Amino acid sequence: MAGRGEDENLITEGDSLSGQDNGSAGARSMPAICDPSHWSHRIVVLSFMCFLGFGSYFCYDNPAALQTQVIQDMKLNTSGFMQLYAWYSWPNVVLCFLGGFLLDRVFGIRLGTIIFATFVLVGQIIFAGGALAGRFWLMEVGRFVFGIGGESLAVAQNTYAVNWFKGKELNLVFGLQLSMARLGSTVNMNIMGWVYDSIKDLVGSAGPTTLGIALMIGASTCLLSLTSALVLGYLDRRAERILNKEEGKTGEVIKLTDVKDFPLQLWLIFIICVCYYVAIFPFIGLGQVFFIEKFDFSPAEARAINSVVYIISAPASPVLGFIVDRTGKNVLWVAFAIVGTLAAHMMLAFTFWTPWIAMCLMGGTYSLLACALWPMVSFVVPEHQLGTAYGFMQSIQNLGLALIAMAAGSILDNRGYLFLEVFFCACICMALIAAVMLYFVDLLRGGDLNLSAAARARLLKSVSTDSE
Amino acid sequence: MGFVVVPTVQIYTFILFLLIHSTSGLDGYDEYRRNVSMELNPGLKKPSTGAGLVHVRAVGSDDTLHFLLCSHEAPALMLVHTNSSSSAVHIDWEAFLNGNYSGSLKVVPESSVQFSSALVFTRLWEYDDVNDTADPEHLTPSSFFPPYELQDFSWDDLNTTINLTNHSVTLCGRNSSTSFRNGSLCLAFSAFGSKGRGAVWPGLLHNANSSQLRIWLDNVSPRSNQSRFALELQSVSSAAQRGHVDVLKSIDDEYTPSIFKVSQWVSSPSNASSAVLGYTQWKPVAYRTAQPKFEDATPCRHSNPVLVSQLPPSGWVQAFFRDGQQTSALNITFSIAGDPFYNVTNYLSWSILVGLGPPPLDSFSPLVLTIMAVGLGTPLALILFGGAGACIFKKGQHPQGYEPIN
Repeated sequence: MAGRGEDENLITEGDSLSGQDNGSAGARSMPAICDPSHWSHRIVVLSFMCFLGFGSYFCYDNPAALQTQVIQDMKLNTSGFMQLYAWYSWPNVVLCFLGGFLLDRVFGIRLGTIIFATFVLVGQIIFAGGALAGRFWLMEVGRFVFGIGGESLAVAQNTYAVNWFKGKELNLVFGLQLSMARLGSTVNMNIMGWVYDSIKDLVGSAGPTTLGIALMIGASTCLLSLTSALVLGYLDRRAERILNKEEGKTGEVIKLTDVKDFPLQLWLIFIICVCYYVAIFPFIGLGQVFFIEKFDFSPAEARAINSVVYIISAPASPVLGFIVDRTGKNVLWVAFAIVGTLAAHMMLAFTFWTPWIAMCLMGGTYSLLACALWPMVSFVVPEHQLGTAYGFMQSIQNLGLALIAMAAGSILDNRGYLFLEVFFCACICMALIAAVMLYFVDLLRGGDLNLSAAARARLLKSVSTDSE
Repeated sequence: MGFVVVPTVQIYTFILFLLIHSTSGLDGYDEYRRNVSMELNPGLKKPSTGAGLVHVRAVGSDDTLHFLLCSHEAPALMLVHTNSSSSAVHIDWEAFLNGNYSGSLKVVPESSVQFSSALVFTRLWEYDDVNDTADPEHLTPSSFFPPYELQDFSWDDLNTTINLTNHSVTLCGRNSSTSFRNGSLCLAFSAFGSKGRGAVWPGLLHNANSSQLRIWLDNVSPRSNQSRFALELQSVSSAAQRGHVDVLKSIDDEYTPSIFKVSQWVSSPSNASSAVLGYTQWKPVAYRTAQPKFEDATPCRHSNPVLVSQLPPSGWVQAFFRDGQQTSALNITFSIAGDPFYNVTNYLSWSILVGLGPPPLDSFSPLVLTIMAVGLGTPLALILFGGAGACIFKKGQHPQGYEPIN
């Protein structure tokens, strides 16, 4: 989940095969908004692209937004509840390798997008149906199906973006998509509780039925995504016909044998990625009740603060990305971000200070880490291995998320929040150890991970003059 | 490298300090040990129904704590502290069994008594929470069923449950109504000779100056489908009792998951209100099953203490305390709005600690401190040694100073 939106950009930006300039002649007679080569038409397309991912981001954190309700209505303990997140991650341990392949070779981008959007919708409906029927195992199945679609849909979304915007406003488009994703998560966190309460008033009591209806309403966002996928498919085909352009490709080439050539630095980056994100997403999954129990927040306040990481990430990501791009020194930025997150978790664990401080700090450092960490992969592996490297990174990240989600649930059940926070601190400490090692390994091997932007530009220039 | 070494050493020292502090405990109270012995109906010649007194003598180096668990009428736990290690309980059984309570229980020598208090469980309230508010203070009187007066309960013989080696005893009782046909209200008492922690949640921390009571309500037939319960406590003390219950925040929920508060109702000498002579301490949580899991926890709340004009309806308390002793009462209400009603599990348990002196305070467990120490120490050590190593390595690569041009 974590990497969604942040990493895929790099793959597609790096080695997409697609995205020819589409300046060729079209039917000039049509109005600008219908003309695929005109910017106003691309804005229409962009809005559909943004809504394509909205549903899956909205529904991913449905359990977190309704934590108390899910636990009470389905009579779960916290470990059971966290299974909902684990089941989302399991399919993606494998699918991170397969998603690009399926889009490029099997379905094509248009059909593939529709299929994945359908998986997301069907998964959410099964999830909600499980709640309606009062069957928790069915809800787990729903999350599994949802997971199959969710992550791959993000790949498809980025491929569309490259196809339509490469060489124009691509970074802005990625930024917008990411902000839209965070918006989806935020809206979900803050609205689902209210939806549930309204339905509770209508139905007359809380219970699986109420939960099921609330989740069904959540599924309408997935329907919106599927509609967007259909419209996008139509518009893309129409553009292909008018402009004679190719269907988009992710360009991902996964070769598992590349793994043996991965340098030590890349493995350290993987460790940072896993250890860092497992202390963010499972924490958010369990956050709402934590803020209620420890800090005496009202449920609405707790949902608001639990979405702060996403809210901050939306505007901060582009700004921080710009700063990291300009300054370089990625390893130091990563280490700094990890230390900041560690401080935030320690505040939550060992103080009663208002959690707004800690959560804002976490939101800022989380965005910083995303901006500094994911691009580093492209510095340590050759371009043709990028797809494999990113696929592998996401795969073990999902493996980590699935395992830690389950561990976090049972730690909370048996030893409480302090111990859970200490556990998250320990994970972050491991990420910090890996970052420090990365710094030294890079220093000793004379790598360029921690170069300043200016030095990196000089290096690039000398390489290109050498090759001339 | 000096600038790196100093903070590292400081942090390690700090961590070491924390570890030592948490494992050995710096304040003397926690390490204090007492020699504990337990006896049933001390001095009673021939067994008699309605006697019901367990006496715990906890002898320290120059003082004695007497705990008395009484099952005559309303169940009560008395605590008497003397400054003599040879003080004893003296009972006039004949007078007591004849109903002449007053003065029939003494701790001698009477001049050695420093502090005495009693906690009495007087009533069990049951109310029909139709609107699911769990707020009995704002309910109409018609929502309340007639309360169970615990002074009318018949209590099982203590002889069958007393465990003289563990210093524990369980007292179960019931009245003749149909609600208690298969159910009972029980109190499990434990006395301690040293520092430790309860094995089951809420896992209260105790020391040699405290004893624990677990109260549970098992398999009672509620009188409505939305029944919730509340418990009335009365407390008598030789010192001034605070007019309010202090609710302290507690960072550490490791032993009572998700509970970050601890409530204590303390007695102070009337001339110095900050000193604490005795306390009743609890975590504001009750559990809905006998082997509680995380989701079986349900919060509990207390009302403000109010003064009561007469001694509580407990024989032994009336036997020890004189009329006119200050008595206060408060209610503990279990559960909050939205939590399941009693009939879902037909079980409710709640634990309290009763003791002398300042209440014990939780501190971080050694495991938590070790994890944090290793977690923070390792990256620092890495930076330290890695930095030094890198410096040496770089120096080896590029010898310092000017190199000859040719």
